[in-house]
Amino acid sequence: MKAVGARLPRYDGVAHVTGKSVFVDDVRIPGTLCVKALRSPLHHAGIVSLDTSKAEKMPGVHAVVTHKDVPLNVYGHLSALGIPADEPLLAEDDVRWLGQPIAAVAAEDEDTALAAVEAIKLDLEERPAVFDMRIAGDPDAPQIHHWGNWYPHFEAEMDVRQIRKGDIDAAFDAADVIVSGVYRPAAIEQAPLETQTGLAVPEADGRITVYSCTQALYFSMGVVAAHLQVPLNRLKFVGGTVGGGFGGKVDTAAEAICALLALKGGRPCKWRWTREEEFLCSSTRAAWHIEIADAVTKDGWILGRKTLTLHDAGAYARFSPYGVTKHSFHHTGAYSIPNLHFDGYVVFTNRSPTSAMRGYGVTSVSFATEVHMSRIAKELGIDPFEIRLKNANRIADTSPNGIAYTDPSTVPTIQAIAEAIGHELPAEYRAMTPDPREGDLLPEHLAAQVGEVDH
Amino acid sequence: MKLTVNGIGHEVESHGLQSLLYVLREELGITSPKAGCVQGGCGACTVLVDGEPRRSCLTPLAALNGAAITTLEGLGTPESLSVVQAAFHEQYGSQCGFCTPGMIVATTALLERTKKPTRHDIEQALAGHYCRCTGYVKIVASVEAAAGGAKK
Amino acid sequence: MVLADVTLVVPTSVDEALAEFGDGKGVTVVAGGTVVMADLAAGRLRPKKALLLSRAGLDGITRKGGKVTIGAMTPVAALEDGDEPLATAARHLGDVEIRAQATVGGNICSEASAEAPRGDLQAALIVLGATVRSGGKGGERTEPLEDFLAKGAGRLVLDVSYDDAPRQTGYAAAWRPHAHHYTILAVAAARQNGDLRVAATGLGPHAVRLTSVEEGGDAAVEARDDALASAWYRQHLLPRLVGRALADLEEA
Repeated sequence: MKAVGARLPRYDGVAHVTGKSVFVDDVRIPGTLCVKALRSPLHHAGIVSLDTSKAEKMPGVHAVVTHKDVPLNVYGHLSALGIPADEPLLAEDDVRWLGQPIAAVAAEDEDTALAAVEAIKLDLEERPAVFDMRIAGDPDAPQIHHWGNWYPHFEAEMDVRQIRKGDIDAAFDAADVIVSGVYRPAAIEQAPLETQTGLAVPEADGRITVYSCTQALYFSMGVVAAHLQVPLNRLKFVGGTVGGGFGGKVDTAAEAICALLALKGGRPCKWRWTREEEFLCSSTRAAWHIEIADAVTKDGWILGRKTLTLHDAGAYARFSPYGVTKHSFHHTGAYSIPNLHFDGYVVFTNRSPTSAMRGYGVTSVSFATEVHMSRIAKELGIDPFEIRLKNANRIADTSPNGIAYTDPSTVPTIQAIAEAIGHELPAEYRAMTPDPREGDLLPEHLAAQVGEVDH
Repeated sequence: MKLTVNGIGHEVESHGLQSLLYVLREELGITSPKAGCVQGGCGACTVLVDGEPRRSCLTPLAALNGAAITTLEGLGTPESLSVVQAAFHEQYGSQCGFCTPGMIVATTALLERTKKPTRHDIEQALAGHYCRCTGYVKIVASVEAAAGGAKK
Repeated sequence: MVLADVTLVVPTSVDEALAEFGDGKGVTVVAGGTVVMADLAAGRLRPKKALLLSRAGLDGITRKGGKVTIGAMTPVAALEDGDEPLATAARHLGDVEIRAQATVGGNICSEASAEAPRGDLQAALIVLGATVRSGGKGGERTEPLEDFLAKGAGRLVLDVSYDDAPRQTGYAAAWRPHAHHYTILAVAAARQNGDLRVAATGLGPHAVRLTSVEEGGDAAVEARDDALASAWYRQHLLPRLVGRALADLEEA
């Protein structure tokens, strides 16, 4: 094993420091056209009419595409897993977020492309918009998604991601104190330095070469093939040199539209998003609303947790059901809580559709859990390190979704932090290890959740 | 209009109000300066104009008046890396590589005028350069390594 | 905006610049380019005639006849080691690359919008008692900076001047905690010959003189929301920064 522990040079390091790395916008193909999109100026509206004729006739414009040009317009990010799709590549009957693409043009240069977009006649009928996921369930809340205001296609057509573990009522009855908190992490834009950029080249042999900044090359290839209804071997995807993604380049943002325009216009088509588009129109990390109520004993055991999570998916589902599912599996953070009642909803709003960002679904509930632990410590008058060490997950403890931990590093990590900041721990806490619970560290209420560790 | 880039003279056709970034990338095919924001905020487009670091996206062609432009390509090659380029490579000062051209150009200018920059000097010189990947620690380490290893 | 349709003029003297500017109608002045080039790229500006001042001979700082005169095309960087509180304001504008390219004239003519804070030098210049010499409709005129700012756009700034005299000065600012500065709110103060002048930048489209503070009262200007901070936050901050600027002045 020559690599582990060795200090290896980056294989792209020399290219990066000499300016030789080729990002999508650096690719030069003669005859490349500039792509610009007509994007919704409203948060929520019905499309009354769309007339691209003037744009199509403009000198220097080689192709204009609308939903009519897309062989399979509605194809979901999770369609390959059999999950129903909800989002059109190009808007058809309505627009549900400010910036949603409605049409796209490919022209000789940027000025012509922008003029062509301005020449498209769009007639919209404004509708009331929803920005706060908390009102989604109100009887008088406007309906903004054809599935209703939250995602209804979890397994067994449930409209909520649920975890039920142990006996939550018994836990709450046995508690000395119930500690509650509400946590609302905001949406975050990944803001990679390279904006979304795609370049599609129609080849003489009938294939399409797509230069992509995606983080998920094969996934994007599948999405483009599906929208275009072509077999995979008709596409050649070139990528891997990405100017930052952080989850923001997992969605297939530019490639499909560029490929459509390239086919229609017969010329290579490049679409480089502006920084403004990147902020307003690319997917963000979602905003969350997390309500936690913990059943707690005077001596610092967490007997049970009730959680209500709302996840702001924005206008369409994308990967949000997966994000909420991951969130549910990790909703107790680094701690073992034996009795659980978790409900998580993927709520639709008229905000830009959300997607992944580092630690998709999990960072929100890690944050909430950590603040909540400190809150419990404060309410009980217990040292915040001690309460964490006591409840920290150990080998054979099980996660919310029943997986036995094989090698959790929570205990040594908290001990290391205490040492680093000079926080004195009593001997009992200094002696703790990740070993399976026993003795005082295995009270009756934790016995039922201990699992079998796979070796 | 005449423009000298990395020692080579060019006759450029772009309009006088066109940005130097556009002229370099689109007219001359020199692609190391990047279009990160095209608003002067991120520093990915920085090049040297008569040895001074400037945002090429904010520089109108007509203001250049015979200036000598240096881009990352002009500082060194894979076969012959400059001290700064080598330092960024050895110290892992580059992850995705998109901010790297601006960072190396700004660092090169800094070390020309300040042989032994303090931490504050480095922060000031790179203040206009965003990196979304590294958290800047390795970038500062690269600059310090380049300053330490300067063979002049 | 199609650049091919833009007429670009690059005058090589002040007289030529004034002649090409005329009464300013339909003319977009390009100084350092830090504002105009960004606006052009984003499609916020569609000029017909652009007047580029890089060769007009409008840069330079002179001290003569008891006056400091700063040419409109003087880069902000040239002020960093000069008179306070202008030097502090200059040092905290953008970053080193922006400061080298941005100009004093451009900074005076920039209007802060909801998206972009601008005009960081204005409050410092106001408290220095700066006058602006400008050309345009009706010919050349010189007026106090705060009057010039209140009148709005349409003039070609030639230079700013203030007394080359001893002063006590103070400056207090709230910057976005970032190496690349954005000023949320700044208060400048100066006392020359017993006359106190106080001004603030970040409360609106341009800096304003805080005459009520000069008279010993509280600031009576309303802040507004923008991309950096809310009106509430600025309103909250203003009396504290006024206090700090005045304390800074007394200690000087």
